[in-house]
Amino acid sequence: MMEIRVGKLADALGVHRNTVRNWIKTGDLAALPTLGKKYVIEADDLLRFLRDKGISKDRISRISQDMAAGGDPAGSFASLSQNNPLTLQKEVPMSDKPVGSVLMVGGGVAGIQASLDLADTGYYVYLLEKSPGIGGAMSQLDKTFPTNDCAM
Amino acid sequence: MECGRHLNIEILTLSEIVAVAGEPGAFTVTIRKKPRYIDMDKCIACGICSQKCPKKVDDDYNMGISKRKAAYIQYGQTVPLKYVIDPDACLYLTKGKCRACEKFCPTGAINFEDKEAIITLDVGAMVLAPGFNPFDPSGFDFYGYNTIADVVTSMEFERMLSASGPYQGHLEKPSNGKSPDKIAWIQCVGSRNTNQCSNGYCSSVCCMYAIKQAQVAAAHLPAGSEQTIFYMDIRCHGKDFERYYESAKTEKVRFVRARPHSIIPGPNNTGVSMIYTTEDGRQITETFDLAVLSVGLEAAQDAVDLAEKTGIALTPYHFAETGSFTPVSSSRPGIFVCGSFQAPMNIPSAVARASSAAAEAATALIAVKGSLTKTKTYPQEKDIAGDGPRIGVFVCSCGSNISSVIDVKAVTEYAATLPHVVFSENTLFACSTDTQDVIAKRIEEHDLNRIVIAACSPRTHEPLFQDTLKEAGLNGYLIEMANIRNHNSWVHQKEPEKATQKAKDQVRMAVAKSGLAGPLDQMKVDVIQKALVIGGGLAGMNAALGLADMGYPTVLVEKSDHLGGNAWHLDQTAQGEPIRPALESLIENVMAHPRIEVLKNARLTASSGTVGNFESRVDVSGGPTRTIRYGAAVLATGARESVPTEFMYGKDERIMTHLEFEDKFRDAPADVTAAQSVVFIQCVGSRNKERPYCSRVCCTHSVKNAIDLKVENPDMNVYILYRDMRTYGTREDLYTNARKLGVIFIRYDLENPPEVSQDTGNLRVRVTDPILGMPLSLAADFLVLAAAIIPNETKELVELYKCAVNADGFLNEAHPKLRPVDMSVDGLFVAGMCSYPKPVDEAISQAKAAVARASSVLTRDEMQLDAIKSFVTDKCDGCALCVDVCPYNAITLTETVENGQTLKKIRTEMALCKGCGLCEATCPKDGISVHNFTLQQLRAQVYAALDLPN
Repeated sequence: MMEIRVGKLADALGVHRNTVRNWIKTGDLAALPTLGKKYVIEADDLLRFLRDKGISKDRISRISQDMAAGGDPAGSFASLSQNNPLTLQKEVPMSDKPVGSVLMVGGGVAGIQASLDLADTGYYVYLLEKSPGIGGAMSQLDKTFPTNDCAM
Repeated sequence: MECGRHLNIEILTLSEIVAVAGEPGAFTVTIRKKPRYIDMDKCIACGICSQKCPKKVDDDYNMGISKRKAAYIQYGQTVPLKYVIDPDACLYLTKGKCRACEKFCPTGAINFEDKEAIITLDVGAMVLAPGFNPFDPSGFDFYGYNTIADVVTSMEFERMLSASGPYQGHLEKPSNGKSPDKIAWIQCVGSRNTNQCSNGYCSSVCCMYAIKQAQVAAAHLPAGSEQTIFYMDIRCHGKDFERYYESAKTEKVRFVRARPHSIIPGPNNTGVSMIYTTEDGRQITETFDLAVLSVGLEAAQDAVDLAEKTGIALTPYHFAETGSFTPVSSSRPGIFVCGSFQAPMNIPSAVARASSAAAEAATALIAVKGSLTKTKTYPQEKDIAGDGPRIGVFVCSCGSNISSVIDVKAVTEYAATLPHVVFSENTLFACSTDTQDVIAKRIEEHDLNRIVIAACSPRTHEPLFQDTLKEAGLNGYLIEMANIRNHNSWVHQKEPEKATQKAKDQVRMAVAKSGLAGPLDQMKVDVIQKALVIGGGLAGMNAALGLADMGYPTVLVEKSDHLGGNAWHLDQTAQGEPIRPALESLIENVMAHPRIEVLKNARLTASSGTVGNFESRVDVSGGPTRTIRYGAAVLATGARESVPTEFMYGKDERIMTHLEFEDKFRDAPADVTAAQSVVFIQCVGSRNKERPYCSRVCCTHSVKNAIDLKVENPDMNVYILYRDMRTYGTREDLYTNARKLGVIFIRYDLENPPEVSQDTGNLRVRVTDPILGMPLSLAADFLVLAAAIIPNETKELVELYKCAVNADGFLNEAHPKLRPVDMSVDGLFVAGMCSYPKPVDEAISQAKAAVARASSVLTRDEMQLDAIKSFVTDKCDGCALCVDVCPYNAITLTETVENGQTLKKIRTEMALCKGCGLCEATCPKDGISVHNFTLQQLRAQVYAALDLPN
């Protein structure tokens, strides 16, 4: 058992506090609340979680060495944060039966462009927009620089 | 917008994600679709519901400046163009009575029984682009946004400027409706501020939009108006932005480096009064008619919720987290992000990132490409040869856009009297889906073989009507449009009678031309489904890898003997990821990929062909010359650091450029960290007369290095001499951090640059500190120059492909905002620094965007080209006047020998011709013509306009 602080873990991993809270809430990270806004967690659970998040083996072994030596676990995270391990996507196997459609969320200029590119290359696109029409913020602009073209 | 009509895009409005389950490749997404209360299939967007609706609320599209009804559309060109009832405002839905819209709706589209629906979708991948929120300055009481009428946000000002906005494009002061002749912009409201709000980042777009607004406002207002921008640093780090800034200065926009601390009401309770301190310490009180708060971009609460529901990680600023080498991948595999959900970004970056997200999603699902898409088939075309023209005329009311000014009934009746017209009809919306069915039916009933639509612009709607004709079995080129809206009802609102007469003239002209139109065949070219990438740096390699992963065999041409380019000299990205390991694995992947062939020491020496069908010769030093055939190419020739001529560069080995210092720091770190004092000079060779552009990456680079120096040796004095600090976006955190660590920033002007001297073996840099107003003399153990970034030689490419470069030698895009990776030559795409200096993440995202755009060409077996092309008639005598005027180099002179006589004639390359008509206008003898714009047709139009017998 070891104690962790949400804020420290979040800072060390370069993610928002709520992200860490969500991991705990959804049970991805098997931590239990304890006194002083801290959580307790099995060292093995934490290591397994880091592995699942795609952090490289040698880093994890460094952390476990730190922990075995009784070091501050947040200290180990601090050394990780420089490389932002979460941003390196882990290799997750693709589904055996992939679906040939893509869900696009947001109908602004980015969403529209991505939808057109996908639809033109052979994928069916669902374009999701929360407002009654697409166009987003760009449709509200008067003109665009440097050419002063009309935004429409 | 073409999105609305795309066969393979389904738009779900008023919808949001509830939950996401499944794995990459097969997600199941639950969606909540809110009721619209109007049946989308029945609504014809006539606007009667909105006219009859008694309830008015603030119009959020116009940022609350004007009112809209409870039954409304956001704006005139909304897609889908269907009305919606706002359940929070509708009297019936809130208080239980009214239903006025229901009584008047001509198609019975109102449905108050509409219920919220839960939909589940199976999708292979997701792309998230929920956008941003403009910062709400209500919490800043010192700016008086809520209490002073003449303080507005930039988003509100944007609507005030707009012709479709609340003031119809005539600027007025909200307090009294008078013209605001003196306007002030305050920059960085809700950005670069960790004191009053927690947005420590720079929103990176506000400097440019403020300059744009100042210029547009000046154009709206009478001469003598004044525009002032209060700023901290002007950040115009984009392509051609610096020129825009300089032009604003010459057009008398005033730039004041100051941050007004508060705004109070102006005299007589109109306008504002502002107190600010100038750099030399004087306190000034100035009044303005209007204050515009340049609000920053913030992560929307919706976006935070979305991240939670989709389970992706956010940064401390609530933007989606991504890495520099995977710039559109979220923390959850199979889910990609783009746009200002990632970080504040401008339109071209958002569009480029969108295309790269599309490329990533497409690559992930390559195994099932095309499994769910539909293609359209048309009936056999009717042969109308020999039939006389039988013209059908459709006069559009465009809701009330046209009919409120023009007497459409009269125009319709008039049309029926014109020669060859056998049928005419008035429609409410010529472009609506049901009218397409009506047109098809009339073609059948009346055996029509030419159609004239009197409505709006062919630019937006001709493809739709062409499609309708094709579905009805007619050639798509038998359509003719008369623009009685943009060219008439919109501009002649006050003269309805004359406008009606003009509409008749326009219809008469269109009918005259239409009678002479004939069916045209669209040319098809086979697409070679292979790609060429020129340049083996980070961008080129990413492009090659992306194209190969999409299944296209790719040749990568690199002029040097190694791949990797500038990245070999760089240590870390702005986010702190080490570059070398990523570069090495990228090179390994490229070299090992079965579909990539790498040609090193290679140069392009000749190129021909057009989109889908290019051929190039590549000389490989020490090897055989290769001929490569391909359908699309990505140009990623990169850029390099210039060699400074100023600041004693080359006279002392302690004076280095950025890249030289980076190499030194890596190879001999002890020498560097032992230094007592290091001075950085920014904008060396950039932002001057010779190179009036910002090199974009140097500020971040210097700040990053300064931090590393301070961390290694906190006792070292580190100075950065800069002009404007341009650590845009979340890079601002580095700047903040550097200041915290004690890096000393000293600003200098172009007119008063630092002076470097060498006395008794020591380097000294003299500079005047603008705040102290005193000259400083700094000792320097190392002097690091942020040398300008200049494009690699593009002259050859320009010659080979006839593509365009800007004045600084960077390759140009087809459209600076909306087509940031397409080039003006179809089938060519641009990525990396050859289009403009950019950091690693932007270069990679642009490369991936180029992959998406190139694969939209390569995915097809054949390309259909527009049939409006030039053709040579037998009157051509080979005078070749047209050869030089053709901007697309589509015309060549040919010589044939017949009966011992040399015959000269021109030949046009159909695939290159864009049908612009310059040749036809130049030709003195009717020797070349453009289909559907023949001299005969144009003559008929002119005679019809003048109402003369042809």
